[in-house]
Amino acid sequence: MDSWKIHQFNGERADIVAEVIRRTLLDTGRNPEAAELAINDVAFQELARLEGTPKHTQRMRAWTDLYRRLGKRSPAEQAQILRQLTTDYARDIVGSFNPNVYRFATSIIPRGLSLLFRKRALSNAPRMEELERRIQVRGKIEELRQLAKIGTVILVPTHSSNLDSIVLGFALDRLGLPPVTYGAGKNLFSNRLVGYFMHNLGAYRVDRRLKNELYKNVLKNYSSVILERGFHSLFFPGGTRSRSGAVEQKLKLGLLGTGLSAYINNILQNRPNPNIFIVPVTINYPLVLEAASQIDDHLKAVGKSRYIIEDDEFSRVGRIWSYARAILNFDGHMVINIAPALDPLGNPVDQAGRSLDPHGRPIELHRYLLTEGVFGADARRDAEYTRECGEAICRSFQRHNVILSTHLAAFTLFELLRVRHPQLELYRLLRLTANETLPIDLVETVTLALRIELLGLVAEGKIEVSDGIRQDSIEHVLERAFGYFQMYHSRPLVEQVGEEVRLVDLKLLYYYHNRLAGYGLEKFVKAASVEKNTRV
Amino acid sequence: MSKTLAPIGIAGGGSWGTALAQLIGRHGHAVLHWMRDSASVLEVNTLHTNTRYLPDLTLSDHIVATTSLKELASSCKLILLVIPCHSFRSVLRELGEHLAGDHRLIHASKGFEPHSFKRMSQIILEETCVRQIGVLSGPNLAHEVAQGQPSATTVASNFPAVIEEARLVLAGPTFRVYGNADIIGTEVGGALKNVMAIAAGLAAGLGFGENTKALLLTRGLAEIARFGAHWGAHPATFSGLSGIGDLMATCFSPLSRNYRVGLQLAQGSSTEEITTTMKQVAEGVNTTRAVYEYARRHDVYMPITDGVYQIVHEGVGPHEVLAQLMDNNRFTHEDVHGWS
Repeated sequence: MDSWKIHQFNGERADIVAEVIRRTLLDTGRNPEAAELAINDVAFQELARLEGTPKHTQRMRAWTDLYRRLGKRSPAEQAQILRQLTTDYARDIVGSFNPNVYRFATSIIPRGLSLLFRKRALSNAPRMEELERRIQVRGKIEELRQLAKIGTVILVPTHSSNLDSIVLGFALDRLGLPPVTYGAGKNLFSNRLVGYFMHNLGAYRVDRRLKNELYKNVLKNYSSVILERGFHSLFFPGGTRSRSGAVEQKLKLGLLGTGLSAYINNILQNRPNPNIFIVPVTINYPLVLEAASQIDDHLKAVGKSRYIIEDDEFSRVGRIWSYARAILNFDGHMVINIAPALDPLGNPVDQAGRSLDPHGRPIELHRYLLTEGVFGADARRDAEYTRECGEAICRSFQRHNVILSTHLAAFTLFELLRVRHPQLELYRLLRLTANETLPIDLVETVTLALRIELLGLVAEGKIEVSDGIRQDSIEHVLERAFGYFQMYHSRPLVEQVGEEVRLVDLKLLYYYHNRLAGYGLEKFVKAASVEKNTRV
Repeated sequence: MSKTLAPIGIAGGGSWGTALAQLIGRHGHAVLHWMRDSASVLEVNTLHTNTRYLPDLTLSDHIVATTSLKELASSCKLILLVIPCHSFRSVLRELGEHLAGDHRLIHASKGFEPHSFKRMSQIILEETCVRQIGVLSGPNLAHEVAQGQPSATTVASNFPAVIEEARLVLAGPTFRVYGNADIIGTEVGGALKNVMAIAAGLAAGLGFGENTKALLLTRGLAEIARFGAHWGAHPATFSGLSGIGDLMATCFSPLSRNYRVGLQLAQGSSTEEITTTMKQVAEGVNTTRAVYEYARRHDVYMPITDGVYQIVHEGVGPHEVLAQLMDNNRFTHEDVHGWS
């Protein structure tokens, strides 16, 4: 454990910052025009951001001042300003790793908490070891362990909750896998306590309010430098939590591209373990902590959702508490699924770290990066490779998405509602206020038919399902799902009244339903319900 | 005077492959030309002709032919694929054994794989490890290009360097190369114009004049663009060389293979008779079936393709199909801007 690379982080910290500053200035400060343009962009973007926020008038004045007088400054002064900005950004981003804090967070805190709960005899308090049992890790665990030894790993998980990095970090620790460093939104550091832990567990700060190119370059250089130094990393390639509940199908490629640049730099500098492995991971929750605020945000303006939600369930201890209780109350699991690794171009990688072509033949990765026989970076070519890698990650998410009882049940209920109201488009469907009810035997029949189709897709390798969906009776699957639906959210999503299921919160049903949308299963709901009704 | 050291590879010894080899050879580049038929290889290497496909042409002596795909892959970094769609996958599978990440492949095959309905670029990505790929398509009747008549083509790729290299070896005093980044649109335009060419041949065979041809071309293009949009193509691509350009050349030319298929169908021959007597593949016959089946399954409105399918594959009489197409109760607005 002490041999983990991340234990050396603090020793290398100053070198990392210096290297990030050096690279950024090498590019941005290559001539006076580039420097002036970069500073100009920073000042302009900062002014645009701060505009209309009265408490920032002082800072606005400072930026306005800089902006107006920039042209009159000497190249030396401009270079100095650029160096200062770059240094400030690099220092703001850089993380830290404190082994003591890590040990404290992963073993002492959980043990202490369970002890505390038991002492107080809180019969309904979450027990840590039980919570741990509710997290199931499956997939290519051994491969990940191997690859982490022979190269640098970038984990790219799906993102639906702020709990993702905590749950994943916890699971990695329990599997004896090394901790990863990751970029976390600066807003998450605003809570002093959470911030302290994040800061000392290898997280670096990403200020998503900053849109200027200089900041983005510093961030990319930071990511590339730590990858080159062998620190395993985690990016959420979706950029932000999935608002719709669906698995990400559109990625932010900026940070992802640093995997390829790190590989290129490793080869150019002849480093011993040059390979970078990209490992897609799906994190599948029966209930999502922030489901309610996210689907609201999604529906307010599809595609224009807020990038940062400050005041959601994650910031309220009470919500986290009831969430943990709901998770513990049923026999379902949170499933972390580790998918097969990819190289920075999106080619599959075998356990020995070799890239493979579509027929499984080993290929030489470096040859993709030759131009006229010379190895090196090429911005436009590499951007396209990264885009294709992003597509491969999306395909992997789609295939390794693990459907849980709540997803299947919500899908059945919501699609049955659509069958009943074929003339209503989505927004009108979601606004149905009269309580819609469905006969339970119809729901069971359709879920059963859907499970057969779903298992067909599983056999073709197009999706995965939980053990519960595979093994349990349909009655049990639905009972578990309805149990979850009734326990955590502020009002139950469904109610059972005699032989009927009443749909109460259509928006949240839609949210959980979305996890299974896009696999072509919609038509089977219609077919099964028609068949059922004609038989009745 | 060769601008690049390695020879340019061409896979496929048909008329378009030979014309492309000639174009590149004439610019002074070495060409390694793979063809399946060993007699043709011998003819190219000794007599500098390919009489089966371009009988009147004396080939550039920069062109060397081979039957070895392995040699093609080991000698060339850029390979142009000019292979009929039905054998595209099997050739690519074999070629894929010898390729690496620094190869570039540009295909010039206009059509889809039967049954799977895959585009040729998809097949390249499935069968080989090559990523830097492109598609070449445009109004390029092989013998006119071979004769050095002024013409132009489109090369689509997501990699600017692929377009640039294609321009470097193909462009010259009689040939222009345009680039774009819409592989799907470029492939769809090239494939579907063959269906419209059969329709144009049919119209000519039935004795119709310019109005009918213009009607066919205009509505044919709308149909092609609708189909392309379904797959995510950029609509503007269809107003380029690989869209309207290729459509016009193919539908105006009595020499185009697919046009001749239509012409002979109008004169009463059956599809079977026509295809067995033609020495070259008319891709439009298979493309019609593929597009028809796909459009039916995915509910894309393709009336002209429907009509051609009925005539080519179901033996329905051209006049009957024409009556269907001209039925005024069927559809009455153009889906141009404002009507979509």
